[in-house]
Amino acid sequence: MTTESAPKPPPQDAPDPPLPAPGSAKALARARRRRSAARFWKQYRAHRSGLFGLAALALIAALALAAPLLVGDDVQNVTDAPGGALESPSGRFPLGTDQFGRDLLGLLLWGTRVSLAVGLMAAALSVAIGTLVGILAGHFGGWFATVSMRVTDWFLVMPSLVLAIVLATVLSHSIWTVVLAIGVASWPTTARLVRAQTLAVESRPYIERARALGGGHAHLMTRHVLPNVMPLVLAQTTLGISSAILTEATLAFLGLGDPDVVSWGGMLQDARETGAVSSGHWWYLAPPGIAIAVVALAFTLCGRAIESVLNPKLGVAR
Amino acid sequence: MDTKGTTTDAPPPAPPRPARARLRRLLATGASAFALLATAAAPQGAQASQEGRAAAAGSPVTAADRSRSLTVAVSQSVDSLSPFLAGRLVSTTIHRLVYEYLTNYDVKDARTVPALATEWTSSPDKLTWTYKIRKNSTWSDGKQATAEDAAFTFNKMMTDEGAATANGSFTANFKKVTATDAETLVVELKKPQATMTALDVPIVPKHVWEKVGDFSKFNNDKAFPIVGNGPYIVTEYKPDQYVKLRANETFWRGAPKFDELILKYYKDNDAAVAALRTGEVGFVQNLTPAQAKSLSSAPDIKVNDAPGRRFFALAVNPGAQDRTGRKFGDGHPALLDPRVRRALFAAVDRKAIVDKVYQGHAVEGQGYIPPRFADYHWQPSAAQKIVYDPTAAEKLLLSAGYKKNAEGRRVGKDGKPLEFRILCHATDPNDKAIGKYLQEWWGALGIGLKVQCLDNVTDPWQAGEYDLAFDGYSVNPDPDYVLSIHTCAALPSGPGATGQTDNFICDKQFDDLYARQIVEYDKAKRVGLVKRMQSRLYDTGFMNVMVYPNAVEAYRTDQIKSIKTMPEAAGNIWGQDGYWSWWSAEPAVGDAGDDGGKGGGSGPTLWIIVGIGVLLLAAVGVVVAMRRRTTAEDRE
Repeated sequence: MTTESAPKPPPQDAPDPPLPAPGSAKALARARRRRSAARFWKQYRAHRSGLFGLAALALIAALALAAPLLVGDDVQNVTDAPGGALESPSGRFPLGTDQFGRDLLGLLLWGTRVSLAVGLMAAALSVAIGTLVGILAGHFGGWFATVSMRVTDWFLVMPSLVLAIVLATVLSHSIWTVVLAIGVASWPTTARLVRAQTLAVESRPYIERARALGGGHAHLMTRHVLPNVMPLVLAQTTLGISSAILTEATLAFLGLGDPDVVSWGGMLQDARETGAVSSGHWWYLAPPGIAIAVVALAFTLCGRAIESVLNPKLGVAR
Repeated sequence: MDTKGTTTDAPPPAPPRPARARLRRLLATGASAFALLATAAAPQGAQASQEGRAAAAGSPVTAADRSRSLTVAVSQSVDSLSPFLAGRLVSTTIHRLVYEYLTNYDVKDARTVPALATEWTSSPDKLTWTYKIRKNSTWSDGKQATAEDAAFTFNKMMTDEGAATANGSFTANFKKVTATDAETLVVELKKPQATMTALDVPIVPKHVWEKVGDFSKFNNDKAFPIVGNGPYIVTEYKPDQYVKLRANETFWRGAPKFDELILKYYKDNDAAVAALRTGEVGFVQNLTPAQAKSLSSAPDIKVNDAPGRRFFALAVNPGAQDRTGRKFGDGHPALLDPRVRRALFAAVDRKAIVDKVYQGHAVEGQGYIPPRFADYHWQPSAAQKIVYDPTAAEKLLLSAGYKKNAEGRRVGKDGKPLEFRILCHATDPNDKAIGKYLQEWWGALGIGLKVQCLDNVTDPWQAGEYDLAFDGYSVNPDPDYVLSIHTCAALPSGPGATGQTDNFICDKQFDDLYARQIVEYDKAKRVGLVKRMQSRLYDTGFMNVMVYPNAVEAYRTDQIKSIKTMPEAAGNIWGQDGYWSWWSAEPAVGDAGDDGGKGGGSGPTLWIIVGIGVLLLAAVGVVVAMRRRTTAEDRE
């Protein structure tokens, strides 16, 4: 390995491995990306809480993916449910059974899939809308920015849960409705953040240079602004997932979810309707509640860690 | 403790410590997650603990107040306080308490007993009925209740369509109603009518109601107290919150023992049960099996599980139409084939519903009228009965031209797979639970089912925009009303208009039998006709009775010493045919109520929340401890 062939000195203080000799521009870019990913991981590793969150997430994601193998689709069946109604925990049913005699542990595992899927999709939708609006507003400015930011403000001051409830009530009950409701209700914060970042990026001289070399709006936004706001977007997505999962659970608990799918919020709702709360059947209530809390916490821990890696100023300020 | 002296505990002043900041963040996240969990998992718990505090803080004054005041938890919201419009059970229950009817039903065996009318006679041709109105019934504003009031009520219903909305079936056959003097009411009929001693029509005060303009809009909720002559007077009403009633001291049968009756609205039945445990309410109805089971072992609470007066049916949209025969709505055309309806119901395992969903707190459905009304109850013969038989259902569907395609879906001749919608009440857990079973039973036949659970099913129902629906009615001792809602005459006047019809059924054979039973004064003959009507209804397959749910209710024995059920032997308390339960309820005296209130405060829910909290705190504690250990070298 020769150090002198490195085209650029490492920008950070971290002692990164030197780049190999460039074969092509693509290879160069790949190598640079690999290097920055390694640097990112090195810094992320320093955040112990972030590691905890990541480990928890990996475990939960593995369980969600393996759920069809572990419990199978027929765990939701009511007609041939294996147990009696509301059995307390036993060797056969570690978490007891629900009012139909279904295994609650199986339902809990199965519910992981819906909660994670809805959380991810809703957060992705929300961040996508927010990024689009934020970059457009930041890039074009003028009356467009004024109008779009007033719309953003309007959504921002509106209680997002209320908006989500209204949307979920008006539209038909399905998980896509819930995704849409959460996504539409929670994008304004991202839009504000991205717009601020876009303004900061666009004031840099190289944007001026790109513009002088003939870069159009689309080129500027996608090739120069977007890569620079991406870290922020990534952190925002991770944080958004935990709130999306909570909102999904809330909507399902309020009876606005898809009644045909098993989700954690839906399990809480079923427990309440059965009278498990007043009858003291804690094994019906506690596991989905704890699961929601754990997943939300894991995503928050990861999000915070990513945020402080990507934005060193945050770490100092705190 | 002197913290200033010990420097080890104090944070070092100058450098900001990221570890500590993270720690704080972690704790904050944990705490907020716990808060969310607690609120999500058990809103009742918070309520219960609040109530516990209130009970603890409350002086003996509240206990004394409570002994004369009774709070009843209701889950239905009042549709209208006008007796001319109200159809829901909670509203008709209020009207039973507020207004007198000409006749009432005996609490023991539901035979007709005098109420506002003390005696009645009919002419030999049974076309003229004369009622003697009692002299000792006064309205709550001091005026005497007379035959004039009754005549006004009936005449209004005969002449004003808006006033006939709720109970029009009783007066449809009236020719002329007159008050010959203050104590004599004469009703002339067009044809004989069997329900003349079972006219479930609240009699309203003429001097108040003659000022009302549009009876189809007036909800009787403007001026309080509402003038009435029943055992209770409505003094306050907040929609979806509560109805307050005060005892009518001048009630002719004697004032009720409780001074105040409050019907408090609980959207969430589990919250109502928690309130019963703490003593906040004295009575809760419509319990789930789990609630009934756990309450039966609770102190100072009595669970009443009695044969109900309701049927719970699977209604099929027969193609919604108005009185002129104009069709509207979008009911599934496949359901117009009787073989499809029969197949669907043959795939419904009624026994499983009784065992699994109601866990024994119900009786398997047969005819339209519940077995509690033994006279009129009808059972299909073995040959006529649609038994649970999925293979027979499969054959029926095949004979109707619905074959299974490659994906296992049942498709018609047009190649479209069968997919039905069912209207379900979002507030009724049983609807949802049975919906799940139906999805799987019919799914096995290759038929898709979309369960549409709505808070407001009335709008799509009236518009005829449903295929199937969960349907239930409370049946009166005289079955005329629940039969009348399936006649052609009950159809709405136009598309989407309010009508008495339940399910848009209009069947000539059924109507003919209805017309014959209503003019039949001979009880045995009338019973025979009513049974034939039920047989016909069963065969049409538009109203498939799945179960007769029991009335499962509970009350606090430290608030209510005694209360009458109807029928007295084994009967229900809520939704009786009469005011017997709340009129007869006797308050429990002494300080037992206060004691029970506190005991219930620390119910199991509180312990669950405490348990979860401890668990989460322990988890956070472990994380903190680990962090501290790893950063031990950094600390001084």
